[in-house]
Amino acid sequence: MSRHLRFIARTVMVQNGNVDEAYKILNRILTHDGVIDAVKRKRYYEKPCRERQRKNFENCRRIYHSEMARKITFISVTNREDPWLGC
Amino acid sequence: MLNMYKLNSVLVSSVSSVCRQLSGSLNAFGSSAKVFIGCESIGLQRTLCTSAVRRQETAASTTSSAKTSRDSSIFPPIIGEESSLRWGGKKFEELPIAHVKATYNNTHIQLTESTGQSMVRTSCGTEGFKNIKKSTPIAAQTAGISAAAKATAKGVKFVRVVVKGLGPGRLSAIKGLTMGGLEVISITDNTPVPHNGCRPRKARRT
Repeated sequence: MSRHLRFIARTVMVQNGNVDEAYKILNRILTHDGVIDAVKRKRYYEKPCRERQRKNFENCRRIYHSEMARKITFISVTNREDPWLGC
Repeated sequence: MLNMYKLNSVLVSSVSSVCRQLSGSLNAFGSSAKVFIGCESIGLQRTLCTSAVRRQETAASTTSSAKTSRDSSIFPPIIGEESSLRWGGKKFEELPIAHVKATYNNTHIQLTESTGQSMVRTSCGTEGFKNIKKSTPIAAQTAGISAAAKATAKGVKFVRVVVKGLGPGRLSAIKGLTMGGLEVISITDNTPVPHNGCRPRKARRT
């Protein structure tokens, strides 16, 4: 950051001279924290109506993906206890 | 680098002593079913302690992995004391900083002291590129190489990099610095993120 946490925040040490590896780690951290997305979005002004549409869309997308992942994990379970045991 | 070698030698001696102890215990119990094959190659790179018994293998690997994960961490040393890491005799906060400003049309590289005094200043434009050629990773790489050459002429070896902006020359400038002979020890990202400050320009319609 500029003055706060000057070399503490958003910093990655290079291990064994692997500059590419360190850059990849930094990129991964930044994307997970949403920094890269925010910078790309703020390059041009986003009108409030477009912002509301995008937030709505991202909400729906998040719900859809979580439900789909839940469904897939449920279906892919193979070892279940036998529901007809004892009949 | 010297720290790494010392720690490696400590590692070697510790793991070899562990192996000797375990081999001693095995021979004392006299397990005839398994043959203990212990081969140690003591060198600066790695020590291999191979044995047929799984427990000893896992014990040796856990001790060595614990040691290696402790001395190499991704996080930078915090400035409030108690860091034994030195690069060329300097602490982390005394090393020079290479500011890389990667805009969408150009890439600037400026090397400064830890105090802020500017030493070297290069950009794609000073390397002889014009207009659209400046916004390429190759131009950023040449700028990095020339900046590193000028810096090594002034006697700089280790440098911490601060990147600003998302442009085409973001990674290749750092690569150019390493290719030119400087040693990059840490990468910081200082891209300005406004908390909804100034209104940017209007959206492009293409």
